[in-house]
Amino acid sequence: MTHEMLRGLAPTDRIERLKQAARSEERYLSVEQALLITESYRQHPGAPRVLQRAHALAHALRNIAIRIDRDELIVGNRTSGIRSGVVSPEAGIAWIEDELETIASRPQDPFQVRQEDADLFLREILPLWRGRTLEDAVADRIGAEIGEIKSVVKINQTDHAQGHICPDVARWLELGPAGIREEALSRLQGLEQETRSERSTRDAEEAFLHAVVISMEGAIEFIRRYAREAEADVPMIAAVCRALAERPAETFHEALQSTWFLFVILQMESNASSFSPGRADQYLYPYLERDLQAGSLTVEAAQELLDALWIKFNQIVYMRNAGSAEYFAGFPIGFNVAIGGMHADAETDAANLLSWMILKAQEHVGFSQPNLTARLWKGSPREFVEECARVIGLGSGMPQIVNDDSIIPALQEIGIAPEDARDYVVVGCVEISTPGNNLGWSDAAMFNLVKALELTLNDGVCMLTGKQVGLSTGTLEDYRTFEDLLAAYRRQVDHFIDRMIPLCDAVDRMHAEFLPSPFLSGVIRDCVARGIDVTAGGARYNLSGIQAIQVANVADSLAALKALVFDVDGTEGKNRVERGELLSALRSGFEGFEVLRRMLIYRAPKYGNDVEWVDRLGAHWADHVAQRLREFTNARGGPYQMGLYTVSAHVPMGKNVAATPDGRRHREPLADGGVSAMYGRDTSGPTALLQSVARLPFRHAANGTLLNMKFLPRTFANREERSKFVALLLALIDLGIHHAQFNVVNRETLLEAQEHPEEHENLTIRVAGYTAYFVELSPDLQNEIIKRTAYDM
Amino acid sequence: MTCDTEATAIGGATEETAPLGAPSELRGRVFDIKRFALHDGPGIRTTVFLKGCPLACTWCQNPEGIPLKKMVVYHPEQCIRCEQCVTACPNGAITTRPGERRFIHIDRTRCDCDGTCIEACPTRALRWDSTEYTAEQLLREVERDEVFYRNSGGGVTLSGGEPLSQAPFARKLLELCKAAGLHTAIETTLQTTPTVLTGMLPVVDLFLTDIKLWDPEQHRRYTGVDNGIILENVRFLAGKGAHMLVRVPLIPETTTSRENIAAIARFVGALPGGHALELINFNPLAAGKYEMLERPYPYARYTSPLPEEDVEELRCLVRAEGVTVI
Repeated sequence: MTHEMLRGLAPTDRIERLKQAARSEERYLSVEQALLITESYRQHPGAPRVLQRAHALAHALRNIAIRIDRDELIVGNRTSGIRSGVVSPEAGIAWIEDELETIASRPQDPFQVRQEDADLFLREILPLWRGRTLEDAVADRIGAEIGEIKSVVKINQTDHAQGHICPDVARWLELGPAGIREEALSRLQGLEQETRSERSTRDAEEAFLHAVVISMEGAIEFIRRYAREAEADVPMIAAVCRALAERPAETFHEALQSTWFLFVILQMESNASSFSPGRADQYLYPYLERDLQAGSLTVEAAQELLDALWIKFNQIVYMRNAGSAEYFAGFPIGFNVAIGGMHADAETDAANLLSWMILKAQEHVGFSQPNLTARLWKGSPREFVEECARVIGLGSGMPQIVNDDSIIPALQEIGIAPEDARDYVVVGCVEISTPGNNLGWSDAAMFNLVKALELTLNDGVCMLTGKQVGLSTGTLEDYRTFEDLLAAYRRQVDHFIDRMIPLCDAVDRMHAEFLPSPFLSGVIRDCVARGIDVTAGGARYNLSGIQAIQVANVADSLAALKALVFDVDGTEGKNRVERGELLSALRSGFEGFEVLRRMLIYRAPKYGNDVEWVDRLGAHWADHVAQRLREFTNARGGPYQMGLYTVSAHVPMGKNVAATPDGRRHREPLADGGVSAMYGRDTSGPTALLQSVARLPFRHAANGTLLNMKFLPRTFANREERSKFVALLLALIDLGIHHAQFNVVNRETLLEAQEHPEEHENLTIRVAGYTAYFVELSPDLQNEIIKRTAYDM
Repeated sequence: MTCDTEATAIGGATEETAPLGAPSELRGRVFDIKRFALHDGPGIRTTVFLKGCPLACTWCQNPEGIPLKKMVVYHPEQCIRCEQCVTACPNGAITTRPGERRFIHIDRTRCDCDGTCIEACPTRALRWDSTEYTAEQLLREVERDEVFYRNSGGGVTLSGGEPLSQAPFARKLLELCKAAGLHTAIETTLQTTPTVLTGMLPVVDLFLTDIKLWDPEQHRRYTGVDNGIILENVRFLAGKGAHMLVRVPLIPETTTSRENIAAIARFVGALPGGHALELINFNPLAAGKYEMLERPYPYARYTSPLPEEDVEELRCLVRAEGVTVI
């Protein structure tokens, strides 16, 4: 079986119809599961939280309305409506109360609200949960401290359950819910014979294992309900579901359906961003191979099933509060699938027929989910890289590219075993994790290095509000040398790191207290065997990721200070900027200082142009954060680590930063992505940009990095042109850059889509480690994407 | 061949402040270094544009490259109309034009100092059009993208202007490139001597050259010289077995006649060694450069390339002569 047979394979009529139907439904806020959860908590007062959670999930699995749509080959959803915004009372609902009136009309990611649902929410859900959610506990216990540092540090995960996890799908397929239930039961029996351990530990372990059993039983019943629902009209689906309720998957169709049920149920338990399927081309391949060899399935039929699953990945979206929706705009749910990459032997590449079929599914469906990633390295077959380039050229921004040759050593550096590191996956957008054994907590916090620099220049006082929010270290006028300034900056950064860590730890512990996740724990290796929930540290790897934001603005600002303010040797005296004048200019947001602002832009070199000393300034401060994080251990006993990505947070985070010495005005967006240059400032072409990027400390950025690049469609016009893009990808691997993603679009198309959104509903765009529908983004973000530098060929 | 002068606007590698070598060293005058050049030879390349050209084609895409002398150029999009240049100029050569996009005007006849206005300009709206490098310095610049050459089969291309108008420098640079293992190409008019060409043979992997017009008189009319030396040098290179690509720029109502294309194709077909011919479509983007230099652009009325069907028709003529067309 080779991929040659996929050439020219078109989507079937059924797939075209399913695609049409997929985006025709309006998005609504849904309270159905919240009502069931509330009902269940009423039935189990006083039980340990892990059992309450298991009962609530099982109750929902048994009672939530289900629906099978016409033409579906893969069935199941967590609500009967497509793309509903699910209310999760255990995690947080205060924000929903605040935004109930506005969520239908907010600029980013609006949801319609039915009046009866709003009434039910206010009458049945809110009264029971008010003051009892994770969100409330965070606010009560550490809200004040979070508020004090919020201008520099955004603590995440305060009102929803933890995602960014790749479950052990292979294990789920091999055992099925029934098999995992058996395992938990036998562990329970073992526990009864044990007398060694402490009574309280044993109680907790017992409760946890019971909870796993209850949640798996709920899962079995959920799958069985679909079998019954399909019985009359679609016997084939009924047969698949009936089989999966009783035994592990055997056929390719069963394996795909089983995989989808797993992600639906994980979302029902946690309603979190980014449960990622990971290396689907690896764990699903044996099922495909067996069916093809047995002759029970054709490649065409297998492709149709895969396409159908690809459409399903778009039916679950994640509803965030208005602020968070700005940070993560366009409903990124983060079903990240990683294809290809190194085998565990570190010598051969893992790309197979299914990897090619997944690229084909991306071509056939082209929706925003799943988030498709290709793992490339020196050993990638040339034709596989070429096929990735061809699909990127189709314009959906996928697959994004990640680099085995740089990521695997970085993972080993933070203590991941070599064989696990080689098996790495991407969870959500660009966050790196390992499958089935890792709670990576990728987005513990975002650390705004640019804001910290603003405070350093202004004695710890926010230039926008005039409030003292940081350390009093003096102002720009007080620093006699560049080194004095850097020393003050270090103190400021360290101060916020030291205040941030205990808050991240506290949030982490509250997750274990409020949101233990027994179903998820059943598909993370070691949790059942150790009898410890994944939120309490049951996984083999327990990481916490802090994003350092934003290298480009830090490098450009420090370079301008160094070149024009402090180290003026070699530049003419008349171009020297006085410290007092610059400080006044920054405080005023450059109002009345346009000449100075232009001078800062044009007279000082910028990150992204292969100017080594400038790039090193950015690299140094990113690495400083990474090194400081190594000093700490998180609440689950694992390490903190650094990432360099912002998702779409460069826009809202920029709103909180005053004018900067790189010529950026008050509240303008920061550089996009994570390691990208400030838009419009990388004027030396893509190779120079990549050389600059490659100077960053990737070895210490195993949490993930993000580089956006935008190319014009003619770059991909034919094989000859594409071969140069392929070379660019291969060079990127050699340069040791973890990640890059590519928008392939004309500026005119984007402007036209802003003008006539109704005609461009299917235009997808890479925002930041994920793809969204361009017309669903707020105007601010749309404009920022249009401004990013485009490379022509 | 496109040359984006914007590429050096901000902090690129071609700062005019690049340190110069010892005064006795051979230096080249470079008006652009274009990285990620994709159509100047195979693979991903860095193209270095040297100043000076013995021809003056009416359609020249890089008119700033024709004079060897360095000049001040003005970028109105970066100008904030502060008039510091007007004050700074010791010759009173700069005047303002309120209300116009090109706010300042430089009287070239009076402009002769060493860039006082450039130093005065806070925003780099005024810049030198070129930078001087030693061959070693320039090698370091082009070596930056070695990883891209290696992965794409690319390398370095010398262009201009006419790079051989700075022949000793061009030769030295390419010699260094060869020694560093880089693939080398040169875009040349071939308006030069056999001696110079013989010297280039060992250091050039690919010659990219033009035959613009077959008729010698027409050639003189549109480029300033007749094509005798050029055709002789094409034959010379073919005879030496040099790797060469001959191209015809398709300039509306100038080079696009059937007779011209057919005659050039016949000539190329008769060369020893079986050389291909490339037809390069008209590129209307040069208009902006003429504006920058405040010179009229004779092809301003042509705002788009030739239609693909017209180009294809000309390609057929080439094929009819038994010549491979690109």
